[in-house]
Amino acid sequence: MTEDEAGRRRARGELESEVMTALWSAAEPLTPAGVQAALGSGLAYNTVQTILSRLLEKELVRRGPADRGRGHVYWPAQDAAALAATRMRAALDERPDRRAVLQQFAATLGEDDAETLRAVLEERET
Amino acid sequence: MTLAVYLPLVLPVLVALAARYAADRARPGAAVPALVAAAVLTAAATIWSLLLLTLTLFDDLPAMAALDGRLGMRLPEPVPDAVAVIAAVLLAVAMVRLERDMHLRRTMARRLRNAGPSAGGLVVADWSEPLAVAVPGRPGEILLTTGMLRLLDADERRAVLAHERAHLAHHHHRAMLLVGGAAAINPLLRPAREAVTYLVERWADEEAASGMGDRELVARAVARAALATAGHRAPAPALGVHGGVIVRRVRALQGPPPGAARWQMPLLAGVAVAALLLEATATVNFLAVLRAWQI
Repeated sequence: MTEDEAGRRRARGELESEVMTALWSAAEPLTPAGVQAALGSGLAYNTVQTILSRLLEKELVRRGPADRGRGHVYWPAQDAAALAATRMRAALDERPDRRAVLQQFAATLGEDDAETLRAVLEERET
Repeated sequence: MTLAVYLPLVLPVLVALAARYAADRARPGAAVPALVAAAVLTAAATIWSLLLLTLTLFDDLPAMAALDGRLGMRLPEPVPDAVAVIAAVLLAVAMVRLERDMHLRRTMARRLRNAGPSAGGLVVADWSEPLAVAVPGRPGEILLTTGMLRLLDADERRAVLAHERAHLAHHHHRAMLLVGGAAAINPLLRPAREAVTYLVERWADEEAASGMGDRELVARAVARAALATAGHRAPAPALGVHGGVIVRRVRALQGPPPGAARWQMPLLAGVAVAALLLEATATVNFLAVLRAWQI
């Protein structure tokens, strides 16, 4: 495998995960165009379509007819995520130091820290 | 025997000082390997010291004592027996703690890796608690909860993914495994473990920031995700005295990217040389005692 192919393959995986996060944070099933808009990263419609079919094959998303017009809408396969949640919870809940052994994006905060962070975020947004 | 055999036990203090100094000043990509190597060397020195101290117990073996009486000589009493016994106990405790630490990491990673089917290395778990975790493996996986995804906008979600991918790409779990094992062997190395825990997060933050080309964005994502987890039960790991880990990460992202540091190679070399010198002295001492027996 050439380096270029490896790079493309990784990029494809990253796109899949971005599409999944977009579907998950949407309140309702999305059309491919909706996914494209939610991603907001200038992906071609065909690319989004391809990724969605691949996710469908892996049974990570479900597909149904769109309300209006032609085409399909997609939503995440809830049972796969529920299963993952159950297993994740079981693994993490087992020990008091559960989080210490894995990298986490955000650890928990003390109350003072929370105040500081709120101030920081407000600073940003004004 | 002289005091030399105890000297390696002070090495962790050096490493802890270096860790405290490094945490906010050094480039994480350089500081992490240096601190991990220093911690591992120190842990090895700890084991060697405890082993040597323990071995001095054997001058009390009946065979030795008989030899002692027959030749009418007094064997040197290298260290008080009480010290040797304490060393033996500490050594046993260190081994048990090391094994427990390794076991915890292995089983946790394995169980999380089996959490569910992944899309491009991402597993989404339908759970309201906001959580994003990098799970090592081949290939590694990122576990995200729906609680986390719903907090963030599209760009912030990409920042979280980039952060977790940086953990996997740079094998941060390996650094944590090594420094965690070192701290399990020698509890005085806990400051080093804390510093490395913090520095791998900073490393991933910086990598996400440069990948996204936006430090503000990553700072926002970190702050937002952390605020959402406020009030959950686990206490924030303390690092030094000034503020929690998250606040420091956000503040660091608001500043300029850290520059290249020149201190880490001298530090590592210094600690390595100190460890080797101290160990060599202790070993020479020990061999001298051995020779005294054989005469």
